[in-house]
Amino acid sequence: MTLLADILTILLNGLQQGAIYVLLAVGLSIILGTLKFVNFAHGALYLVGAYLGLFITGQVPLNNGQLAEWGIQSYGIGLGFIAALVIVPIVVFIVGLLMERFVAQAFYERPDTDQILVTFGLAIIVQETLRALLGGSSQPFPQPSWASGPIALPVVGNFPRWRLGVIAITAVLVLGVYALVEYTDFGLIVQAGTLDGEMVRLLGIRLSRPYLVVFGIGAALAGVAGVVGGPLANVNPNIGTEQLVPAFLTVVIGGVGKIEGAVVAGLMLGTLQVLLIQTGYAAWSQVGIYALAALVLLVRPQGLLGSEVEVS
Amino acid sequence: MSDEPRDATATAAADADAEVSGGFADRWANFRDREISTVLLTVVGVAVFPFLFNNFLDGYTQLATLMLIYGIFAVGFDILLGYTGLLSFGHAVFFGGAAYAAGIFSASVSSSPLLVLLAGTAFAVLLAWIVGFLSLRRGGIYFAILTLTFGQMSFYLAASPLAFLTNGENGFTSVDIGSLLGVIDIHGGVPFPLSMLVDNMLYVFVAAMTVLSVAMANRILHSPYGTVFRAIRENERRAEFVGLDVWRYKLMAFIISAAFAGIAGSLFAIEGNYVPLESLYWTESGRIVIMTVLGGVGSLFGPLFGAGLYLYIENIVSGFPTLGPFWHLILGVVFVVAVVLFPDGIWGGIDYVRRMVVGGEDE
Repeated sequence: MTLLADILTILLNGLQQGAIYVLLAVGLSIILGTLKFVNFAHGALYLVGAYLGLFITGQVPLNNGQLAEWGIQSYGIGLGFIAALVIVPIVVFIVGLLMERFVAQAFYERPDTDQILVTFGLAIIVQETLRALLGGSSQPFPQPSWASGPIALPVVGNFPRWRLGVIAITAVLVLGVYALVEYTDFGLIVQAGTLDGEMVRLLGIRLSRPYLVVFGIGAALAGVAGVVGGPLANVNPNIGTEQLVPAFLTVVIGGVGKIEGAVVAGLMLGTLQVLLIQTGYAAWSQVGIYALAALVLLVRPQGLLGSEVEVS
Repeated sequence: MSDEPRDATATAAADADAEVSGGFADRWANFRDREISTVLLTVVGVAVFPFLFNNFLDGYTQLATLMLIYGIFAVGFDILLGYTGLLSFGHAVFFGGAAYAAGIFSASVSSSPLLVLLAGTAFAVLLAWIVGFLSLRRGGIYFAILTLTFGQMSFYLAASPLAFLTNGENGFTSVDIGSLLGVIDIHGGVPFPLSMLVDNMLYVFVAAMTVLSVAMANRILHSPYGTVFRAIRENERRAEFVGLDVWRYKLMAFIISAAFAGIAGSLFAIEGNYVPLESLYWTESGRIVIMTVLGGVGSLFGPLFGAGLYLYIENIVSGFPTLGPFWHLILGVVFVVAVVLFPDGIWGGIDYVRRMVVGGEDE
């Protein structure tokens, strides 16, 4: 009975750990799969989401950074967590639209090394602007009051309520995006465009608008990930780059452009990490996910659920 | 440079398309294309650099030394990015890995600087062979992400499971550097005539390695090997149709570039007597990407300039009261502008101006 409880606890914690990877990876994956655009600024969108979430939920005192030097004591409008969950994706969606129009579009025809370079530069700009204005120190992102504290689950016992919340929010969002891509006309156009953009254009369908929306959705998911992931750790300007690498791993392990793949891979990485920590190999928990990623890519370079077609 | 004597071998060594018509631009091109003049220019450059730097640019010799070390790293990185067209986001693993290897070697085997340098570089080359072999299985973004993966894996390995070797988060502090060839104190001063230009021996040592590295890079890039690299960058598929084993050449480019990173990493450990854990983190890889792109990919001296500029901004400009807090941000903006508008970086810009002035040929 306790063994079962242990296994379930590890699985649940793994789900929660992997949930943030999944949220980031799904956005990254649909942008990469559909637009063939490598977005190294995806972590920066997560960062924007986290800080924006902090701004909307509460009043954060400012101790350092330029804003504090200019005499602004705190920032935030204190609207609460639900408001953040609604507003952040909308704002970051718009940020995504702007990014597509003014940055990504100019780089579709250029080699992917250039795409990586320019988005890497953008990520630095976002990160350093936030650091300069708000200071580099870590700020706590409080859990929403309605979801703090433990909840008694059958078999598992007490489990932090917020972790279940993270899993639930992720599940709803990812299912929503999956349904949008798989079961709507919009999704059909996007999928067809991924397979053969020229043919879709010849059929008289303009792809520029669906592509714009895909970029926006991907960005919005990264923004939500920032709000959802914020309360799990402190918020500081480095969290964007820290999340970017595992998110990319999740995409390539799962297979580029595959939402199911991103989910499976994210859960794998999360569970492995939690497993290593809870079995006393905490020192290996980070090495483990990179080793697993390397192993999968060596055996199946196209990713677990990826198709043989190379994304170039 | 216009008063440099022009002899018959100059024309022979020059490219076939550079006909000698007596114009200044042609004479300059002739001079420039000879290997010995590249080396001479580098020697003169590294010799007067600390003097100018310390007296006119608010610099100090330690920073000048560091600039050359990162310059070597960037020159090597450019062989991969600029000439072969491969973007590695895990090059810190060779720089930091070599620094750790050099440091551990110095503490437990021999403290001779040359042997330490050799040990660090050899480690980087071996590591590059493995990482390159695994990462080059797929091109494009997969290469960038796989190198990133191996880089992060090494960072976390050094951070805790291997902490008994690397001293974990505190960095490796027991670096022990002896005297060069048993007689020259590498952290000491230099004798009189030289001391007018440079004040410490470490700089001289690093400068010598810089000249050697530039000469090596120049030789490699002007050999048939370098031509193949460029062919791969221009069109990989075409290179393959011609019958070249593209994969093998890419692996060699990767290993060569890691060797430069290894030299730089070993020198870094020797210079600072310390190896920080951050030298393995992926932001270190990002730094070298920025340096190389800012300076100018696909040119020999561009990356050296980029490394110098980056470290200058990081160490000197960051101290300015108004600009200081924003230095990283400014660098990010300059970087993005460079990627969008000037893909050839600062060196490309200089070259452009030079062509405007002297009316040389497009290259």
